[in-house]
Amino acid sequence: MSLPNRAPNDPVLRPHSYDGIQEYDQRLPNWWLFTLYGAIIFAAAYWAYYEWTGHMEPGWVRVNNQIEALSLAALEQGAAPNSTKLWDLSQDPTSVASGEKTFLSNCAACHGIDLKGGIGQDLTDPEWIHGGTPIAIFELITVGVATKGMPTWGPILGQKRIAEVTAFIIAKNSTIEKPAEEEPTAPESSAGP
Amino acid sequence: MTTRTITVEFNDKVVRQFVLASIFWAVVAMVLGVLIAGQIRFHVLNFDTSWLTFGRLRPLHTNAAIFAFVGNMIFAGTYHSTQRLVRTRLASNFLSGLHFWGWQAIIVAAAITLPLGFSRSKEYAELIWPINIAVTVIWVVFAVNFFWTLAIRNEKSLYVAIWFYIATIITVAMLYIVNHLQLPTSLLHAYPIFGGVQDALVQWWYGHNAVAFFLTTPVLGIMYYYLPKAAERPVYSYRLSIVHFWSLVFIYIWAGPHHLLNTALPEWLQTLAMIFSIMLWAPSWGGMLNGLLTLRGAWHKLRTDPVLKFFAAGVTFYGMATFEGPLLAIRSVNALSHYTDWTVGHVHAGTLGWNSFMAAGMFYWIVPRLWNTKLYSVRLADLHFWTGMVGILLYVASMWVSGITQGLMLNSVTPEGVLAYPNFLDTVNAIKAMWVTRMVGGIIFMFGFLALAYNIARTILSGKPVRATVEVEIPEVPPREGLSLLGGFASAPVVYSFLLVLFGCLWGVGHGSLSAVAFVLLVETFLVAMIHMSISGARWGEWYDRLLESWLPFSVLTLFAVVAGGLIQILPMVFIDQTKGEDGNWQKVYTPLELAGRDIYVSEGCYNCHSQMIRSMVGEVLRYGPSSRLTESMYNFPFQWGSKRTGPDLARVGGKYPNIWHFQHMQDPRATSIGSNMPNYPWLFTEKTDLAALPNKIAVLRRLGVPFRELSAEEIGRDSLAQGQGIVDDLKSSGIEIAPDKQIIAVIAYLQQLGKYDPKPPADPPKENPGLETVLEGATTTVP
Repeated sequence: MSLPNRAPNDPVLRPHSYDGIQEYDQRLPNWWLFTLYGAIIFAAAYWAYYEWTGHMEPGWVRVNNQIEALSLAALEQGAAPNSTKLWDLSQDPTSVASGEKTFLSNCAACHGIDLKGGIGQDLTDPEWIHGGTPIAIFELITVGVATKGMPTWGPILGQKRIAEVTAFIIAKNSTIEKPAEEEPTAPESSAGP
Repeated sequence: MTTRTITVEFNDKVVRQFVLASIFWAVVAMVLGVLIAGQIRFHVLNFDTSWLTFGRLRPLHTNAAIFAFVGNMIFAGTYHSTQRLVRTRLASNFLSGLHFWGWQAIIVAAAITLPLGFSRSKEYAELIWPINIAVTVIWVVFAVNFFWTLAIRNEKSLYVAIWFYIATIITVAMLYIVNHLQLPTSLLHAYPIFGGVQDALVQWWYGHNAVAFFLTTPVLGIMYYYLPKAAERPVYSYRLSIVHFWSLVFIYIWAGPHHLLNTALPEWLQTLAMIFSIMLWAPSWGGMLNGLLTLRGAWHKLRTDPVLKFFAAGVTFYGMATFEGPLLAIRSVNALSHYTDWTVGHVHAGTLGWNSFMAAGMFYWIVPRLWNTKLYSVRLADLHFWTGMVGILLYVASMWVSGITQGLMLNSVTPEGVLAYPNFLDTVNAIKAMWVTRMVGGIIFMFGFLALAYNIARTILSGKPVRATVEVEIPEVPPREGLSLLGGFASAPVVYSFLLVLFGCLWGVGHGSLSAVAFVLLVETFLVAMIHMSISGARWGEWYDRLLESWLPFSVLTLFAVVAGGLIQILPMVFIDQTKGEDGNWQKVYTPLELAGRDIYVSEGCYNCHSQMIRSMVGEVLRYGPSSRLTESMYNFPFQWGSKRTGPDLARVGGKYPNIWHFQHMQDPRATSIGSNMPNYPWLFTEKTDLAALPNKIAVLRRLGVPFRELSAEEIGRDSLAQGQGIVDDLKSSGIEIAPDKQIIAVIAYLQQLGKYDPKPPADPPKENPGLETVLEGATTTVP
């Protein structure tokens, strides 16, 4: 098949011609072969590792463990807020400003950019169906009202941002009064699913 | 041996027809692409018109690009090159003509039905069942015409391009038929026989390999003919052709489930898909090497020859895309990239860079020869090349930036354990500029292609169709095929390959001693095969030469190679009972109105932007709720896990917002979601829900194993209106008047139950296998 007088390193040219196309018969490039074999060996090793070392637990088990670790870490940070703390926050322009930002992108669609309501309730009037103390507002945002379509914001926004939104609402609603005395801290909110 | 000389005239008429059709449909696909790219950024471009809305036009764009543009191009290339490589005329003028006109009729049917909302909602398989039957028939026409031509060939040995054409025809037939098994409920609607995870697996086994065997293998075949022709150089390596062909067709099939990574799909399937995707890297690059290294000694021609310029760039894009593919199939990379624009950029690197550049190179080479003239303008072709290049780079780079940006934002969790960007729209607003860049890239690319269309038109006008012929010497006694069917299999390389796959599978799935024994046998077989090859390699080479002289054994071996992956991945999932073996949430059976709403959701193409699959990732669980489970979609025919999130996931959206929210949101998404890019759906508020179709639909779903209660047509109607009235009454309390039979009411009913599940398995579980055996017995009786 090879031509008689070719040099040892010359590629073999196969004699057959298909509509004028001929083919060399070069050896496979080494780096390409390494890629091929390397990928096969990696595949076998990866399979063995996952199949036989218990790493093949279902994804939902894995993610639930990760979430649990996260919410534990979150609990350890900062105590739960109360009405006084939230009121103080409403006097802090920075917190109110970040509360406004969160409000506009998450709440304004239903409660209106001016807080006058729409799909959701008016937040500027003195009427509070679920309680008008700062901590009651905080709790309501965290837990939501499933029957009325108010989402559970706790796991989505988190404690800090909900506290800021509460501060923003207090700042915008003159009917909310400053809490008289120190209250007991709020019960543990249901952060995390 | 005595011979006589005859003159063969090629059938180039059908080739010319396919070339023209391909260019025409390419322009249509690109105009559509630019329009829908605009719609993603500027929602007004949906024009509040049902048949111009993104959800309906995006399937038309993908189908036009894949099946109309590339489809016609590969038919042209296959027919043109095969006739010359086997030195004979296409077997049948009638079948060739039927193939061409049948295919165009299918495309026109698709262009009418998809904008009207007739869609199966399975990606690249959206066309409805009557068109599916037509596609199958025309594909068989193609196969018969092609294999018949091989059977009467005057060149004994099959060139590598033909191998790839054979793999294409066989594999696409297999994929297409299995993914389109369905039971009709009417002339225009059917439910797939697979539901939930089974449907997901079958769909992506098909979807991934549509890319592999419709957009890749036939174009590799075309590369193997036209690139050495244009470069006037021998192909770099015959043995590389052999190794990369067989490894490519064998491995490709297994990689499908990498479209379902980090979902509820069983872990073993995810792992399998990932490792096979990584093993696919080298076989793909084998094709790139054989293309690029064939250009050795011809690189200087690139400066003057637009054909080689397009081929060199096309093959380079192929190499880039097939490196990016395995990368994206790594589970942790996929967690970032999936559902984002990165995937969109990846696929366009393939279709724009590889397919359309290879098509351009082929057209510039073939058209002057088919019309016996010279290319009208080389400078215009150069202009096309550079505008195309700029367009692709803008497109792909902007999708990288936008995909990675959005992926990072969506997954970002603060140290307090909450989402850094809780509002999905924050991530949308962050990438809007990239969507504009992408559209600009698309427009530039489109203008480049228009330059091709003009250039080709002027070329054709300057010439005349030529009757190409070839002189063939035919022996008086026709030569026998090189190998019998049995001779194809009973050979050392085939036996070793079979044993290696067998032992590899036993090692992988087996436990304990079985696995250990299989591993020893695997290593032993490999060593024996290597030693044997070093001794008898030359004889193996002779055997392969003879295999190449036998089209039937070659085709059957190809079929075996592509069947293996599907059997091992899909069959175990088809024969499980989806209601058992998981302690997840059990999906509730839809009420008639919810089913009607779901079918509207499906036909509007909501899956193009919304997934229903919360992946097992912290960011997803915080944003959307607990990760999705297989039991939650077991009654979904078809599944709606989605593949891209231009909007948020909807798996648990039910009950999250009040009815009035959905009402206003569908009317004007900006009313409830500031900055949203979702189209308005005004027609849902005026058009009536098709309640009359429900009895048939429910009957078909019962046959597929969904435990619907037995209801008369009258009860179904009454039930639906009663449930609709409940939503209407609720809306009335917010001051909105609407009739309960409007489509929006059904859609709200459907959306509000998403994520509402039974904590217990169904009391009356469906049959052992919801899906398969019921279909086999009922398939003949369902057509209305």
